[in-house]
Amino acid sequence: MDEARVMITASHLHKRFGALTAVDDISFDIRRGETFGLLGPNGAGKTTTISMLAGILAPDQGSVRIDGSQNPMQAQTRLKIGNAPQALALYEDLSASENLFFFGRLYRLSGARLSERVAWALDLAGLTERRRDAVRTFSGGMKRRLNLACAVIHNPPLLLLDEPTVGVDPQSRNLLFERIESLKRDGCTILYTTHYMEEAQRLCDRVAIVDHGRLLALDTVDNLIARHGGKSVIEAELERLPDRPADLPGDLRDHRLRVETDCPLQDVAKLADSGLRFLTLHVHRADLETVFLNLTGRRLRD
Amino acid sequence: MGPIFTLALKDLRLLWRDKFGLFWVALFPLLMALFFGSIFSGGGSRAGNMKIALVDQVRTDQSARLAGKLAAKEVLAVSPMSFDSARALVQKGKLAAYVLLKPHADSSESFNPFAMPPIEIGVDPSRKAEAGYLQGMVTEAWFSLVQERMSDPAETKQWVNQGQDALLTDTTLPPDQRAVISRLLGSLGDYVSMTDSSGTASASPFGSAAISVVEIAVESSGPRSPFEITFPQALAWALLGCTLSFAVSIVTERQRGTYLRLRLAPLTRAHILAGKGLACFITCVGVSSVLLLIGMLIFDVRLVSPLGMLLALVAGGICYVGLMMLISVIGRTEQAVSGAGWAIMLVMAMTGGSMVPLMFMPSWMLSLSNFSVVKWAIYAFEGAIWREFTLTQMMLPVGILIGIGVTAYAVGVSILVRTDR
Repeated sequence: MDEARVMITASHLHKRFGALTAVDDISFDIRRGETFGLLGPNGAGKTTTISMLAGILAPDQGSVRIDGSQNPMQAQTRLKIGNAPQALALYEDLSASENLFFFGRLYRLSGARLSERVAWALDLAGLTERRRDAVRTFSGGMKRRLNLACAVIHNPPLLLLDEPTVGVDPQSRNLLFERIESLKRDGCTILYTTHYMEEAQRLCDRVAIVDHGRLLALDTVDNLIARHGGKSVIEAELERLPDRPADLPGDLRDHRLRVETDCPLQDVAKLADSGLRFLTLHVHRADLETVFLNLTGRRLRD
Repeated sequence: MGPIFTLALKDLRLLWRDKFGLFWVALFPLLMALFFGSIFSGGGSRAGNMKIALVDQVRTDQSARLAGKLAAKEVLAVSPMSFDSARALVQKGKLAAYVLLKPHADSSESFNPFAMPPIEIGVDPSRKAEAGYLQGMVTEAWFSLVQERMSDPAETKQWVNQGQDALLTDTTLPPDQRAVISRLLGSLGDYVSMTDSSGTASASPFGSAAISVVEIAVESSGPRSPFEITFPQALAWALLGCTLSFAVSIVTERQRGTYLRLRLAPLTRAHILAGKGLACFITCVGVSSVLLLIGMLIFDVRLVSPLGMLLALVAGGICYVGLMMLISVIGRTEQAVSGAGWAIMLVMAMTGGSMVPLMFMPSWMLSLSNFSVVKWAIYAFEGAIWREFTLTQMMLPVGILIGIGVTAYAVGVSILVRTDR
């Protein structure tokens, strides 16, 4: 891949903790402006991978390259990275704005620029009204949003989000998705680790599926489903049976028809055109859960 | 230096908002200084009085004066009452003892100017010490009364006359005894008349004790008040509180993920630890200085060597920052670090003079205290407050404090780096 278009290169990363192999030969590139998902169950090695990318952990083997730099621990490289750790890394006795001012200063912002960025980040997190309140008084969702805001206070071109929606209610989760999508529209490169396949499916351009420290598959969501998800299934309950039931595709039992297909929408249209009337109609498309199940024999949340 | 100050400011702000932590860092040491200072200075002396009942069955001028002398004693709280009440209250343990003044059973005793009237002290058998103490008090009061009587010629003359009158009417004494007492009283009367006519009426016929009290200021060095002992101890407690508070804050940051976030910022690990160390140092020196100022302004604590105190504060700060770093890595949870930290520090405080002042320690304990960092901190503070250390003498505790601090910091950082990997 053209190096100028690549933000992160992870090359043959290995990491062991005693007898446990946390990351086993993982390699991938992340393009500029791309939202890249690391999808896998808890303990798959996602956080260890992200820690090696951020320079917190040194890989036992392999290398990391971020925006051309081979040392993610360099201050200049760190300034390009925004990181929202899985733990709510906030000072609970400080207010929302005090947290943002503190992290902003650490990322070398000051004066009017710092105030401007703090106001922007508070707006991003939807916490402008509560900016003076101590973080300990916030709900889990508000803390998650502030966690994200602290990560982007310095406007980094690369954002590492480690399970950013853990323990968040659906309303706050949607708000977080909108904010992440807005950052994506602004050109931010995002590495997103999650064990929720709906999140990866909604937000990520490409997804790497990892389990037991190994990278099992990497592609766009559609390609992963097409390659590893299996066929879609149409299930219909017919109003009445056709004159020649044997001509129908799939299995017919009583009035229930079940058809496995690669092109579910086209096949539904064909059935409707043939004069069939449906009491109920369901199309089950393969998703990343199915992909993971097919790749590992386990469900994501097992 | 910018990020270090930013980190330190954040820690100071967090400490300020943690009222419970602030109590241990600042208020607890002050309370310790005031509490033990007050105890050693004997504040509230009336609270320690021995409560007794006085039963006067003689009801003469002399017995009333004896009762008055006992009541005037500061160490006794005397309540006059009937014998039955006094006995009942002693039996219930409400009073330490009763003192019963009884009439003379033998009439010959009434002619003897030195004979104490019969006195009964009622006290629980288990309170032998109090009984002996009270016996001494009563005896002292009686002889004081006799001395007063003999110091006044007019009163002595009156007593001699009363004795001679009583002797004339008495029929109980054997003749030989009566003759001896009559001669004694006659001679005493002649002597008193002689001193009276020679113009020395105000002088005692038997002389009087000439005791005067002269105030002499103590020239040798030493603590001038108990607060000069308890405030250096309070400073040591404050340093201890700061150390533990910041040690726990490091492990809190590691547990809650803020330490990880700091590691992800464009900072080195040295920045992060220096920021924490600076905040701890500022708190150590700041709180110690405020406590010292309170001691000086309100409790008259001296500062014989301001430069020595500055050295002691800086060295103490460095030492306890190092200990903070070391203690923060002895456990992985707040509970572990807090528990182990207090355990270690309490042992050091006990052996180092934060509980028993160094000057009151037996020699074996004083030797043991050399292994406690608290001893050297208190020693340095006392050196500047009342031990009048020269700068050369100050170098020993200051050097030891800095040495321990630097070593502990280095060990703590190396363990932290190893566990970070």
